[in-house]
Amino acid sequence: MLLVREEIPISRGVVGYISEENVSGAEYAYWDNETEFLLSQYELAPLILKKGLAAEWNLVILSDLDLQTWMKENPGQYEITHIKSNIYVLQNLGAK
Amino acid sequence: MTLISGIIFLPVVLNGVLLVHLLWPFGSLNSFALKVSLGIGLGLGLASILHFISLEFNPFSVNIFYLELILLVILFSIVLRQSKQTATLRINSGSITPLQWFFLILFFLGITVSVVVFARNIFSRPQGVLDAWSIWNRAARFIHRDPENWRATLSPDLALFRHADYPLMIPLNVAWGWDTLGNESLRVPMVQSLLFTFGTIFVMFGSLLMTRSIGQASLASLMLIAFSGIVVNGTYLISDVPTTYFVLASGVLLYLFVLRKEYGLLTLYGAMSGLAGWTKNEGLLFILVSPIGFFLAAQGTLKKSFLYYLAGIATPLILLLYFKTLTPPNDLMIGIGSTLSEKLLDPSRYEMIIKSFWGDFTRREAIFLAIYSVILFDRKNINFKNGHLAVLALLLFQLAGYGAIYVITPNDLEWHLRTSQYRLFMQIIPLAIFLALNLSTNLENIFAKRSALQTSTEGSEDKHE
Repeated sequence: MLLVREEIPISRGVVGYISEENVSGAEYAYWDNETEFLLSQYELAPLILKKGLAAEWNLVILSDLDLQTWMKENPGQYEITHIKSNIYVLQNLGAK
Repeated sequence: MTLISGIIFLPVVLNGVLLVHLLWPFGSLNSFALKVSLGIGLGLGLASILHFISLEFNPFSVNIFYLELILLVILFSIVLRQSKQTATLRINSGSITPLQWFFLILFFLGITVSVVVFARNIFSRPQGVLDAWSIWNRAARFIHRDPENWRATLSPDLALFRHADYPLMIPLNVAWGWDTLGNESLRVPMVQSLLFTFGTIFVMFGSLLMTRSIGQASLASLMLIAFSGIVVNGTYLISDVPTTYFVLASGVLLYLFVLRKEYGLLTLYGAMSGLAGWTKNEGLLFILVSPIGFFLAAQGTLKKSFLYYLAGIATPLILLLYFKTLTPPNDLMIGIGSTLSEKLLDPSRYEMIIKSFWGDFTRREAIFLAIYSVILFDRKNINFKNGHLAVLALLLFQLAGYGAIYVITPNDLEWHLRTSQYRLFMQIIPLAIFLALNLSTNLENIFAKRSALQTSTEGSEDKHE
């Protein structure tokens, strides 16, 4: 999460959180997903994580395939930075 | 790091002990264990309040550790001055019988085992349970990492079940501890949890040492360790054990007031009840219950007593009222809405709650405690009827409050009971043990009666021979 923090240029406010929960048809275990969300919140404090495309800066935890599906379902202008494995930082240029 | 984390809490605890002594200058050596254990909660409560006030006024101007050191010098000089005027330390420990030594050894064995269990559990899971890091230490990180913008921890944008509305005593203490150390050492929440866990055990021991005997104090403490699950829960690093501590401390102080009629005890009762609310939302319910206990305990001196009670509860209460204007609504309140009357009129909800509560009432430990206090009921102790009634009222009304919350909960009732009832019961079990052991005959008397009976039987057998 240290790399995520470096990538997100704000130190206060809301950051969106996109995971399998936001991808229709994605298979996931509820508590795995929830725990990842809570752990991310704990690490990124004092940034406030909010589920969904909730802000200009968003943390994405998705596989390549699920990310593609999400992009199709949520068209927009995004700048996506790959951090590590299935972790991305997504800047919603439309929310600038 | 563990040692340093312990040291930073030392002035906090000492300030609490000195405050307890100032409000209740009773000088008997018997009161020492109780005063020290009461000082833990009062000191930690005070430190968190000071940190909260400093955050509100100027987040960077006050270092709580240094402030506590200054406070320590001031309080110590006041106590020293007071003790010169009234040198009243009475050592009335008398002689401890071999039987009482045996009980004391058992108690310290219990404490030793508890320390080992606590250490093993806490080091095997240093971050605590899910709620520890997702609610309490998460809030501490918000405050420590960005004190200027500390109110972000109360944001309604935080996930609903991460309870942004929860009172901040525990996170505030962790946050100033981290500020002092300059890093986010997990030893800080660990030490705070250790203080509350063993503080609760010593409140039990110290109080029964004052009201009854060494045997009774040892037995009550061992029952607390064995029955309530407090030691393992303490390692979870959540706020249930601190809430338990404040509920027990409040009940004990109220009972002592009935026994001793020293009004400083009522101020401490008010403060401890208020701090219960500053610790966790169930403590808010306890704040509503505490005047009922006060009313029963202060019969005949209501007017005078009320001022002392008010002096104790006012600060945490005002603070809480202010704090609640800053927080988002509680998750239980959000969902109630239009279904409230439906829930209140639904008999199946009451049935499910009573059934679930009954499950805990009929646990082996509860049955043992009930039978123990009935069979060994001490008629001589009936003089303190008001004290017993007051403590019983605290227990029953708190229990009724839990029941009422379950009736109106917007969550799935079965899930809510399953995931929270054992923690709520843990908050009141120690006070129930305190009451039961105050109602029953001293352990020493039981053994004395038995040996007297044996002597007379042997005597009559000799005569027959």
